[in-house]
Amino acid sequence: MAHLIQVGAGSGGMPVLDLVCRDPRIHQVTLIEPDIYKPHNVVRHLFPPSGIGEPKAELAEQWLKQIRPELDVRVLNSDLLDPAHAADIDTACATADIGICAADNEQAKLHWDGLMRRHRVPWTLGEVLSGGIGGFVHWFVPGGPCYGCVASHLQRSVTVDKPATPDYSQPGGATPEVTIPASKASIAVIAALHAHLTLELLADRAAFNPGFTSLLLTMQRVRDVFDEAYRPFRFRITRSAECLMCRPGQDGTTSGGTHGATSAPEDLDVALDQALARLGNPGNA
Amino acid sequence: MGLLDSEAGKRRLLTVEVPVIERYNEGRDPDYKIVLVRQAGSLLMRYRLKPTHNIYQLETRLMSSYPAVPPETRVVTPLRHCPHLLEGQTMCLWRQGSSRHTSRWDPARFTCVFAVQAAWRWLACYEIWHQTGEWPLPEAK
Repeated sequence: MAHLIQVGAGSGGMPVLDLVCRDPRIHQVTLIEPDIYKPHNVVRHLFPPSGIGEPKAELAEQWLKQIRPELDVRVLNSDLLDPAHAADIDTACATADIGICAADNEQAKLHWDGLMRRHRVPWTLGEVLSGGIGGFVHWFVPGGPCYGCVASHLQRSVTVDKPATPDYSQPGGATPEVTIPASKASIAVIAALHAHLTLELLADRAAFNPGFTSLLLTMQRVRDVFDEAYRPFRFRITRSAECLMCRPGQDGTTSGGTHGATSAPEDLDVALDQALARLGNPGNA
Repeated sequence: MGLLDSEAGKRRLLTVEVPVIERYNEGRDPDYKIVLVRQAGSLLMRYRLKPTHNIYQLETRLMSSYPAVPPETRVVTPLRHCPHLLEGQTMCLWRQGSSRHTSRWDPARFTCVFAVQAAWRWLACYEIWHQTGEWPLPEAK
């Protein structure tokens, strides 16, 4: 019996959620997703056109309940980074057995990584490259490399697929594509890999070791980028002792010097006020 | 969830950013020390740099989303319009996917003082450009 926590139910996240939640070991799901289902989502999404205008989180809940009525589904119709929902998200993370990140921006991925490390929850991440030319899947466990270590090591020069920016001049209007979108087939390939990796990690959280920490699967031959299509690249990335995201003191579980991360939150406020007072007038320091 | 209002943000400031600023300031002429001030949900670093002949006043903003989002640096001292200068005299320092690794902001390796060093390099290029009309660093792709 496992509690899954997932951020993102977009075109990449929803098929992962669908595949993972068909597994009988999953008995509870917490989904964090703030967006509304829009007309331009239909072409790459699992949801039917009749769902347009509804929150994706609620459509996802209905979808899962149709497949597994007994599943305990809790949705947080909010942005992962919204301070107003931070306490609810933190509470949900505290009881999670496994996490899935299907967010499409670096800020959310780094924030998710921090949450998962703080609560010692193993988690996975899938990323479809722009144009659907390939994609990454990654897995993370407490004590292993963090997302900062991985992103810093890979230094990807190809951009991860992102949905088009809405046109604020005509809300609700057709949204022109600003990047080359991935096809639903490309998204489905990476989503299936992502779901499979998640279920394997769930099966053996203590000793999981598929021989990589990040897997890149190319799906197209692209000049100066990928020499071959359908070729896997396995990366074994170790935790970096110099990583500023996960070194001691960053996650609240290990000591970090003068302002050790084991300090209480109120102590952090006092220490920060003192530091800002000192640096606000360094001539007196 | 921001730099100044989240536990993770405060820990990053106290264990990474504040110590490197203090190290930068240590023994430095008071006129060239970094002054750090709180401004709404962000932090503003005010400092001076003298890459070669001239002194420039700069501001580097650590936004609420820092370090996921790179710091933004603007030159307060008036400049001539030149390459790699954005609106509001903001320096063009970072680009995701850049072929130059120091131009790809990396929150796992870079601190706010790296942004100050990047600004120094940019200003050194500006002074050479001012004299020769050519930006000395090759264009990153």
